[in-house]
Amino acid sequence: MTHVSIKGLTKVYPGATEPSLDRLSLEIPTGELTALLGPSGCGKTTTMKMIAGLLEPTSGDVTFDGRSVLQDKPEDRGVVMVFQNYLLFPYMSVADNVGFGLKMRKIDPAEIKRRVGEMLELVKLPDLGDRKPIALSGGQQQRVALARALIVQPNVLLLDEPLSNLDAHLRFEMRDLIRSLQQEMGITTIFVTHDQEEAVVLADRVALILDGQMKQYDKPDVFYKRPVDEATARFFGGHNFINGMSDGQSFDSELGRLILPDNAASGIGKLTFRPENVRIGNAGDGTNSLKATIADVIYLGTQTRLKLRVGDTVLDAVVNPNEIETYGVGDTLPIHLPTSSLWVIQ
Amino acid sequence: MSDRMKIFLLILPAMFIIVVLFFGGLLIGLMRSFNYMPVIGLTEPDFSAYISVFTDKEFYLSFLLTFHIAFTSTVISSILAIGAALLLRRNFVGRRIVNFLFQLNLTVPHLVGAIGMLYLFSQSGSFARLANEFGMIQGPSDFPALVFDPYAIGIILQYVWKEIPFIGVIVLANMQSIGEDYESVARSLGASKWQTFRFVLLPLIFPGVLSASVMVFAFTFGAYEIPAILGANFPAALPVLAYRKYTDVDLAARPEAMAMAIVIALLSALMIYFYVRYSRRRIRG
Amino acid sequence: MSNRESVSIRSFRVLTGVFLITWLILPLIPLAIWSFAHGWFYPDLLPQTWSLRAWKYALSDTAGVIDSLWLTIGISLAATVLSILVGVPAGRALGMYKFRGKEIVELMILAPTIVPGIAVVLGIHSVFISLGLNNTVWGVILVHLIPTLPYMVLVMAGIFANYDPAFEAQARSLGASSLKTFWYVTLPAIRPGIIVGGLFAFLVSWSQYILTLLIGGGRVETLPLLLFNFATSGRNDITGAIGMIYILPGIVILLLTAKHLSGRSGAVGGFGQI
Repeated sequence: MTHVSIKGLTKVYPGATEPSLDRLSLEIPTGELTALLGPSGCGKTTTMKMIAGLLEPTSGDVTFDGRSVLQDKPEDRGVVMVFQNYLLFPYMSVADNVGFGLKMRKIDPAEIKRRVGEMLELVKLPDLGDRKPIALSGGQQQRVALARALIVQPNVLLLDEPLSNLDAHLRFEMRDLIRSLQQEMGITTIFVTHDQEEAVVLADRVALILDGQMKQYDKPDVFYKRPVDEATARFFGGHNFINGMSDGQSFDSELGRLILPDNAASGIGKLTFRPENVRIGNAGDGTNSLKATIADVIYLGTQTRLKLRVGDTVLDAVVNPNEIETYGVGDTLPIHLPTSSLWVIQ
Repeated sequence: MSDRMKIFLLILPAMFIIVVLFFGGLLIGLMRSFNYMPVIGLTEPDFSAYISVFTDKEFYLSFLLTFHIAFTSTVISSILAIGAALLLRRNFVGRRIVNFLFQLNLTVPHLVGAIGMLYLFSQSGSFARLANEFGMIQGPSDFPALVFDPYAIGIILQYVWKEIPFIGVIVLANMQSIGEDYESVARSLGASKWQTFRFVLLPLIFPGVLSASVMVFAFTFGAYEIPAILGANFPAALPVLAYRKYTDVDLAARPEAMAMAIVIALLSALMIYFYVRYSRRRIRG
Repeated sequence: MSNRESVSIRSFRVLTGVFLITWLILPLIPLAIWSFAHGWFYPDLLPQTWSLRAWKYALSDTAGVIDSLWLTIGISLAATVLSILVGVPAGRALGMYKFRGKEIVELMILAPTIVPGIAVVLGIHSVFISLGLNNTVWGVILVHLIPTLPYMVLVMAGIFANYDPAFEAQARSLGASSLKTFWYVTLPAIRPGIIVGGLFAFLVSWSQYILTLLIGGGRVETLPLLLFNFATSGRNDITGAIGMIYILPGIVILLLTAKHLSGRSGAVGGFGQI
């Protein structure tokens, strides 16, 4: 049950000219599951290691419940990290691995045995206590790693790319397990990933880090509706960026005049909307209607991707394959952009 | 060409050499220790050589001394080598020099080191002269006997000098390939630095240390030239004794020399057994 | 791992480092000093008179030191080359294939690194008498193979374990013959292993004593034998000079191949994973 606060955290590696992490600030409420999302090298693993005490920041602070932990040694912080390759101690049994943290605290062996048994039940591996890690599958190893971390009831749990090594169907199982365990035990959890799908499916809130800077820290859906800038939008797969001028209520560009939602920014900027929000056909009241020519059709099985030409502009759209069945390259069709799906970036 | 054939032909030359020279040498030595050599007319194997050897007080003293040398050298070198590897893992002023000197030490033959030790530690050697300079002793005989002494201190010092870098380089390479993440995990689970070393790192490097130690033990037990230069005459190290017997004018001593050689071989076979049994089991088990 | 270390730990490291550096060089110092000494008597810490006569003698034609040097280099090179020729294929078999009895083969190849030479050479000596190989250079080279070959095979097995045979298949499918494939594809990939293994093999042969003593019979006088004789004869100054000469080729080889011996090289790491 720990409120984690990161203030102005910066890391410049010796010999480097640029900081790997530049003044990151973040408030993570107690018991929340937060994702640090970003491409490789963006500084997210560096951040994790600084929270864990495995790396010293160049400047900035990390506090747990208001108290700075920078002076605390790793083993005193109550931060447990689960690495991407699980790192189960290879020569110890599963039970010994899980009980390791308790053994280090010199807890009574009978008590350790009891708690280990409980924990293995929780992660649904009740009979594997005597096996060696090498005999387990990847998914099983991960559960043991989780059990090993949770049993010591850490202040903060750090997960490194928890879902990326798993096959698709295992992902959802693991996702449910992590979420349920985390919420049941109320442990503040931070995980690191480069996959925005993983972030969105697992986290309460996402912090996007690009080039050592934090861009946006919001609930997952906000990144799709209200990305803070073009780089952020692009990271989440946004494709349509139209230059123009906004007056707060409508946007003028090559596409003509489009009606904006309330509290849109005004001034020079880029209009952005996601491919999946482009609608075929006219809106009931004719708002934001455009005439488009199909430039390319890519069938993806569950969706169809379209490249639509409106005047000199090319737009990306993603639609249900059924909607576009009768159309082909070169055809013209009406489309409209719902007001709520538009956003202005500056 | 089938895979089996390919494999067979690939290892044939190496196996031929090892079987003929190495195992052949052992076999001949074994036969001769029993005075059994049909090719030259000795068709009656007998135990006389072994009886002579095992009733000889000199042999037992020699064996004990040699075992002491090997055991002490191996234990000291292994422990200090682990320490050295831990030291060299992290950066510090002068690390590159130490690394370089470690590798340099590997290229210096034992014999040179032994002679150097002689010049350093003998009763008229450099350390004795230093002690004299500082008024700690009056004359050469006041300096403790570190070479040609019954405890083989000089010999052990020389082996430690060479084997710390040998084991150290192996352990260091091992540590670097294991990486530091296991220790990070242990620390974050609440283990102190010592607990992490004892429960996490040590078991991981143990197989490597063990295999290196076995090599060192066997080498220090069976080496000739170092005890020949630095050792006392009585009791002499076992290899020295064996050589003496073999080159004795009395040819009857030869089978006894062979018997001693077989004893040495048996001891190293025991080492191989222990190594195979214990280091392979730990991870697979 | 925390890169934060207290001052006391850091200075402990530096102190230990200094101690180690001194300790590692120490035995070589008196040897070096002796080689430049004209008589160095107790209790002098340094020689009263310096001279180059030990060196002049050692490098002269009459002393036989230079001859011995070339002889030793020749023997060690020959043993190394033979080890490479025989060890590379064996290493390939052990590194790339699984087969029944592999563990036994590995053990048999490993055995000479553990069983001391004295245990084996007495038996060989008695056979070499009848083969006429005693007191010959070739006899010595042959017997040096016993300790050098296993190291070569060990290192090459490690290299081949990380080697992907798909490259060769690719070359063959592009039309290369077996020989060309070996020369252009395999050899460059295994070259680091050959260098490291060859270095070890050379050094093992270079420092052999008892094998050369017994099989060479004192006629094949390699540098270690010469050095031993002078050391026990009391001529410390000449011993010092010969000692310096004796360690020189090892240092040269080390400098030439320094990068291959770093801790991260897979070849060296192989020793810990036998």
